[in-house]
Amino acid sequence: MMRLPLLVRVLRDPAAVRGLDGVGWDLLLRQADAANLDAFLLVLLEDAGLLDAAPAGPRAHLEWTRTGAAGHARAARYEVRQIRKALDGLDVPLILLKGAAYALAGLDAGRGRLFSDIDILVPKARLAEVEAALMMHGWITTHHDAYDQRYYRQWMHELPPMQHARRGNSIDVHHAILPETAPVHPDPDSLRACARPIAGEPGLAMLAPADMVLHSAVHLFFDGEFDKGLRDLVDLHRLLGEFGAQPGFWDALPARARELQLGRPLFYALRYCPRLLGTVVPPAVLAAVAPDGPRGPLLWLMDRLFERALLPLHPSCADAFNGPARFALYVRGN
Amino acid sequence: MLTVGSLSRAELEARLSGTGLVLRTGPFANRIRSDVQPLIDGVALMYADYPVDPEGGFVDFHLDFLRSGGLRRWVRSQVHFAYDGTTPFQPLPLGQAYPMLEWTMNWCVSHRAHGYLIIHAAVLEKHGRAIILPAPPGSGKSTLTAALLGHGWRLLSDEMTLVHLDDAVLVPLPRPVSLKNASIDIIRAFRPDAVLSRPVEETTKGTIAHLKAPRDSIARAVEPARPACIVFPRWEAGAAITLDPLPKARAFMQVADNSFNYQVLGARGFAALGRLIDASNAYTFRYSDLHEAMALFERLALGTA
Amino acid sequence: MWRVTPGQALACREWDGEAVLYNDLSGNTHLLEGAALDLLHALHVQPADAATLAVRLADHFDAGDDDLVSLIDDMLHTLAGLDLIEPC
Repeated sequence: MMRLPLLVRVLRDPAAVRGLDGVGWDLLLRQADAANLDAFLLVLLEDAGLLDAAPAGPRAHLEWTRTGAAGHARAARYEVRQIRKALDGLDVPLILLKGAAYALAGLDAGRGRLFSDIDILVPKARLAEVEAALMMHGWITTHHDAYDQRYYRQWMHELPPMQHARRGNSIDVHHAILPETAPVHPDPDSLRACARPIAGEPGLAMLAPADMVLHSAVHLFFDGEFDKGLRDLVDLHRLLGEFGAQPGFWDALPARARELQLGRPLFYALRYCPRLLGTVVPPAVLAAVAPDGPRGPLLWLMDRLFERALLPLHPSCADAFNGPARFALYVRGN
Repeated sequence: MLTVGSLSRAELEARLSGTGLVLRTGPFANRIRSDVQPLIDGVALMYADYPVDPEGGFVDFHLDFLRSGGLRRWVRSQVHFAYDGTTPFQPLPLGQAYPMLEWTMNWCVSHRAHGYLIIHAAVLEKHGRAIILPAPPGSGKSTLTAALLGHGWRLLSDEMTLVHLDDAVLVPLPRPVSLKNASIDIIRAFRPDAVLSRPVEETTKGTIAHLKAPRDSIARAVEPARPACIVFPRWEAGAAITLDPLPKARAFMQVADNSFNYQVLGARGFAALGRLIDASNAYTFRYSDLHEAMALFERLALGTA
Repeated sequence: MWRVTPGQALACREWDGEAVLYNDLSGNTHLLEGAALDLLHALHVQPADAATLAVRLADHFDAGDDDLVSLIDDMLHTLAGLDLIEPC
């Protein structure tokens, strides 16, 4: 495999920063900035006790990300609080997805992670009530064009994004994790049935650990957009690291993936996380998901495409292949 | 120490079109690359006294300004700004390249440097007392700043006051003072000695020129200052000069409203601004005559106003 | 009955009878009269209702008895709208 960019090498092994000179730090920070991972880099180095290894200039830049990350976490909590108030009378099970779940559940994947929208999952039958309640509390629908509205409501798995008129924050209300038009249909009722309450947050739930991993994987490998590809891969790596320590998690994961028709995204997750980020996956699990992957030439092609598309979107990581790789994967995702 | 002024024009152009000119402004190292002549002219004139950092080190901000190529090159040339490969802004006519440098350097700081509370304000110092002048556009802040610089005041900044988060120390970021429209002629008349860049017309803010920062202010950029006063200025034709105390809690809210990153900083920003307000007397200020304003500010510097 | 919303540290600064307060939940900063700040500090010590607060803080206000409870009630609702306090 080709030589990994500096940022990826540091993500695999934070101690690699010890050998960096001024130019090296400069490149590392610029790649991290381009990959939306600069706030995470601060967390990574601080956890490893390596912040002191950074000279004053880079150290300052890392510190500059601290308040922004704290602000995002605070804003997410506040926004979820307001959403909960708005939906209070409806007795709708409220499941948080992605970043909002990581932040409110205090997961490792939420630390140093920035995000703008809140994603929630509600039953399809309750969509209209949820939308009405949100509108009563100041959220308005976006994408007013009739085509866009139909696109979302009929074919996608979510309402058109809603934006709060005063605060400006957005909420995506999902009823499933994949669009109706997708080739597979992970059963939302099954996801809901396995959802777990978020400790210390009455009325809030998140997907079960395996489902959270699968949702993250399908979002990364099916959506077809890779501007945040490396960031999303890091999310997966951290989720697997945290949940992997829980008894029974690895054993149940392959079967759950098949049940939700998400064997292929799991295969990719468990292939590229170790390859790029050094994630530790039990060999038995790799063997169990192997049949869900593509064969021979197609696998070779996917390797070439993903290994480039998942790199930081930065001039220093561009090679002639990168542009076409991302485009090919974008087309496939749609 | 190597300065921009000690480079020949050829060397300056070579750096700018090659690996970059690393220009030091206050605490920041800016790597600038450009092939645009009006920008190079602006840098040569306005930044002659500024230090140039050696290549091959860590740089805070990466700014590229390039001419558009292709057909447009001959029809209506434009300058494109790129920050480390991203293009956050629309291109501008080539003639606006130097003001674009100033605006984007400001943008880099206000969007990233969250180790400081950054107030949209001028800050000057004399006799060891620093005065912060927050003001929305059109209040005459820059005219006042440019005038004060001719009366022995040290420039810490004309646009961005940097307040250290852990103590209320003011960190200098002396850069050229931007003047708009009528201000340009007023300052030309008030300060015949002042060095101004070539006025650029038809920008979104009207006609723009920049005033070169005093050499002494640049030399003392490593020397922080302690805040003494916060003055909200307003120029009004024919107004009698007045300086009215502003209650501190209200001054707090108004400074927060005039800050670039107060919201981002959260609780730390609240604490830092609290310390700044503790240390400062706040006023609103009305004037029409620049000479009277100079005299009053002298009294503020001496603590006798 | 009202209490300070869990998570609010009530970071505040006061000068000459006016105060600014940082809202830990929303990230907003509020300009408050001294009296509103007194209500918050009192609730921080112990949750209470408007009537109890009227008795406890009578000497901080100018209004007569009836007016005072209703005045405090209004202020409490405003503070609740800012997520500084909540019913309990």
